Amino acid sequence: MRDLKVGVSGINAVDNPGPGVGVAKSLKEWNKDIRIVGLAYDAMEPGVYMKWLIEKSYLMPYPSQGADAYLQRLLYIKETYGLDAVIPTLDAELPLYIEYADYLRDTGIANFLPTKEQFRLRSKERLPEVAEKIGVKVPKTVSVIDYKGLAEALNEVGYPAMIKGLFYKAYKVYNYQEAVEKFNAIVSEWGYPVLVQQVVNGEEINLVGVGDGEGGHFGFLNIKKLWITQLGKVWTAVTIKNHKMLEAAENFVSTFKWRGGFELECIYTPEGELYLIEINPRFPAWVYFATGAGINLPARLLMAALGEEPPRDWDYEVGKLYIRFTDDFVTDMGIFQKISTLGEV
Amino acid sequence: MDRLKRLALNEEGFAFDPETGQSFVVNQTGLFILKKLREGLSEEEIIRALTEEFEVDENTARRDFYDFLEQLRILGILEKGAEEVK
Repeated sequence: MRDLKVGVSGINAVDNPGPGVGVAKSLKEWNKDIRIVGLAYDAMEPGVYMKWLIEKSYLMPYPSQGADAYLQRLLYIKETYGLDAVIPTLDAELPLYIEYADYLRDTGIANFLPTKEQFRLRSKERLPEVAEKIGVKVPKTVSVIDYKGLAEALNEVGYPAMIKGLFYKAYKVYNYQEAVEKFNAIVSEWGYPVLVQQVVNGEEINLVGVGDGEGGHFGFLNIKKLWITQLGKVWTAVTIKNHKMLEAAENFVSTFKWRGGFELECIYTPEGELYLIEINPRFPAWVYFATGAGINLPARLLMAALGEEPPRDWDYEVGKLYIRFTDDFVTDMGIFQKISTLGEV
Repeated sequence: MDRLKRLALNEEGFAFDPETGQSFVVNQTGLFILKKLREGLSEEEIIRALTEEFEVDENTARRDFYDFLEQLRILGILEKGAEEVK
């Protein structure tokens, strides 16, 4: 355990932060002797420079450049520095890690990821099916591929409406002109189809958890975001216990035998109805909130990856506050020089 | 009355709903009324208690009480049109 080396990606602690630094903090709180290996995609990712937390960092090839280059890089890290486990935290990496999860495990790089089929559930087209199975509602959603379909869908759901990409981006629109503009923006960036969704009014509430892959779980934390940035990223939040959401999460892990970290996003209406908005097949950027509230989900996920039995207790206090803040520090140019020229530091 | 009962209230008038994460701040009069509602007192009992506690006449107490109930309904703490308060 003393020399455990764990790769963590998403160490871009910027205005649209990845979950990596929160995962690293959580693992260090669990065991200060763990060495975190930062998997970065840019020399300027702040995590590369946070040496008190992330001892060693590597520049990774983009997953879109192909699996060979990516896996070679992981194997290089394993051989030259050591890599006992990985916790990928970014959407774009997950298909690759899931595809090669067994291979990585065989080479001695432990992981605890959803299956391919579970990963597909995150698609917004699958939300109605998931919602029905876990006993919650879903906003009326129409999938469209052209202007005619867009106009018909808007007639059906009314204004305001959400215009969404299949996996990323969501815009609230108040009239047809705005809808066309956002439809075009999503098509040019993410392609077809585009989803037109009814706006449900209520409190947006979220939940993070780790499924055990057998229908149980290693803990949940339910929160409400109190303050978000213009990018929609949480800046302050509070722990809650919304019984409908906790029940839906229990149903989610038991129905789909979810394995690994996940986040559910819901709207709780004043009438007490729960609508499922999004499933993320990974930890959210605010995952450290769970650790701070007493449920170290990243450490529990790592234990599961290593074949140990993690704790399953998850009683936490409601009314705990999460505060994100900006910070700064000064370091040497040498780190930047090394990561830029050698790809590691 | 479920939502009213589950509110976490402190002595400074800070109310937190553990199901939704919403929080509210009420003044001492509001806090007094919230507590009496949670104790299950009737409208007339609460209005009488207000006149005794805050030295106001009954008409003023009644008007303020119903104003406050309307605020609670707008915030969803009391159901709209609910007749729980007897």
